[in-house]
Amino acid sequence: MELKANDLQIGYGEHVVVDDMNLNIMRDKITTIIGPNGSGKSTVLKAVTRLIKYQKGNVILNGQNILSMKPKELARTIGVLPQLHSAPSDFRVKELVSYGRMPYQKAFSGKSAEDERIVQWAMEATGTWQFRDKSIYEISGGESQRVWIATVLAQKPEILFLDEPTTYLDISHQLETMNLVKKLNRETGIGVVMVLHDITQAMEVSDHVIVIKNGRKYAEGKPEDVITSKMMWDVYNVECDIVPMPGREKPLIAFKQIV
Amino acid sequence: MKNKNKNKTGNSLLKVSTVWLVLIIAIVGVFLLSVMLGSSRLSLEQIFNVFLGKGTKSEYAIVMTLRVPRAVLAIIVGGCLSVAGSLLQAVMKNPLADPGSIGVSAGASTAAITILLLFPNLTYSVPLFAFAGAALACVLIYLMAWKGGVDPVRIILSGVAINSVLGGYNAFLQLQNSDNLQGVLSFMNGSFSGSMWQEVKVMGIYAVVGLVASFACIKNANALQLGDEMAKNLGVRVNLSRIALSAVSAFLAAATVSQVGMIGFVGLVAPHISRMLVGSDYKVLLPTSLLTGSAMVLLADTVGRSVWPGTEIPVGVMMSVFGGPFFLYMLRKRGNFNGA
Ligand SMILES: Nc1ncnc2c1ncn2[C@@H]1O[C@H](COP(=O)(O)OP(=O)(O)O)[C@@H](O)[C@H]1O
Ligand SMILES: [Mg+2]
Repeated sequence: MELKANDLQIGYGEHVVVDDMNLNIMRDKITTIIGPNGSGKSTVLKAVTRLIKYQKGNVILNGQNILSMKPKELARTIGVLPQLHSAPSDFRVKELVSYGRMPYQKAFSGKSAEDERIVQWAMEATGTWQFRDKSIYEISGGESQRVWIATVLAQKPEILFLDEPTTYLDISHQLETMNLVKKLNRETGIGVVMVLHDITQAMEVSDHVIVIKNGRKYAEGKPEDVITSKMMWDVYNVECDIVPMPGREKPLIAFKQIV
Repeated sequence: MKNKNKNKTGNSLLKVSTVWLVLIIAIVGVFLLSVMLGSSRLSLEQIFNVFLGKGTKSEYAIVMTLRVPRAVLAIIVGGCLSVAGSLLQAVMKNPLADPGSIGVSAGASTAAITILLLFPNLTYSVPLFAFAGAALACVLIYLMAWKGGVDPVRIILSGVAINSVLGGYNAFLQLQNSDNLQGVLSFMNGSFSGSMWQEVKVMGIYAVVGLVASFACIKNANALQLGDEMAKNLGVRVNLSRIALSAVSAFLAAATVSQVGMIGFVGLVAPHISRMLVGSDYKVLLPTSLLTGSAMVLLADTVGRSVWPGTEIPVGVMMSVFGGPFFLYMLRKRGNFNGA
């Protein structure tokens, strides 16, 4: 299982935002996309998941061009949690997660026993089963994020795409979400591609990091190899030291000043 | 605390069945009332006698050829208008959308006014032209709004533009023919006056087709409420869904306009009340809207023709006059659009 993007050019109308983008996303891995605001991270994520069109190049999923796949077929293979999402305030948690089963249902068909089972599995895997009957506005931001992840997980995708899953969360809910992502990846073998702003978290959880600057790929590879003080300077204009820390697997990032 | 939350959000089977039961009882009650009331008042007993085939000839004539078809038509039309509004609110992600916003009323009235004022010898085919006018205006609005997809804001804006042009044309025609507006006025203020089984039959066929199509759209309408990107992620063809939902909505609304003229506010108020009663899941919302719309229009017509002996207030007028304030009252009382 893999997803390949070849020479993608993506834009909005005349305005080209991303160019020469080549990606090779492996299953079983956590891939993190980092880069400054407006560099084109969400644009890339949306194009490879067919939420938006691209102008040039192609995206190949399991050897098949995604443009030739039926929408539901694609939705059974990849799941995307967009940066912005909302639901009517009276929707209950379990009801929302059940929407993840839509790609498996026909217009008039109800929920099958299989659907019920997978919804419960997705909710237990994300620790959301205990508030299944609450309204989605009665739970905290971190819980809500886990509910949305459960919704996408209920699609039973092979790769999960998450756009800034931690951005509006406080630090404890950020870590909670990162732990969940890691656990899902380790325990179910689901591939994860996510956009993160926090470089430290990218360093900690990723198997593979892709750095985007001005709509082009700046670097990619193992987090330790890619996240360097030179990269931080070139891409973010930030001075920092990357310091190995005894007793920890990954180095720490110590910022100096912002120029 | 837990219990309170449950009550607020829980959309239990019990709650939904209770709402439906109450609405159905209300419809049956108002139906009987509307068959009883009129220039010659009938008792419940007389009505049931007619239903059982035991009534007098004149009772039979009043009940079966005048009052029952009219009440049945009101029930069908109300349900269709309300469902049409609910669907369009999913398309636009906006609780203020109604079939008027995609040109159904303006298109139908343009066609009807043109025929009534310029080609009076074609008056008998006004329903046909009104239907075609509504469909054309709707297609025009979507063509203008299309730009690699249909975006709700562009639909609303091009709807405003087309509605304004057609409105101007209609006003001009009416000014030019200001001594001959009887037919136009009765079209613009929809009414069930003189409804016969013929209209019930035609409207019934339209309703069955449109409602079956509506119920086939439930899942897509629900998915659109989660945002376009989430809907796409779930394998929904967002543009196609928007167009299909709009087409079904326009079809239902145009069908009612062609048969009884324009009745405003139902497509706005009835879905809104339904949303407050049962929430925004279209599986439950759509059937509830159907019942609410039926009850509302039947009540408006019954009151409109019996409150002022000797005169009939057209149901379109009733809906505008009482629908508006009632809507405001609901808004102030509940204060939110998302319901429950
Ligand atoms: N819908 C859109 N229409 C036009 N331009 C857009 C749209 N979405 C994003 N852009 C532009 O594309 C660029 C990249 O945006 P985005 O991919 O959202 O960046 P990131 O996710 O890295 O912050 C930005 O310059 C943004 O202004
Ligand atoms: Mg972004």
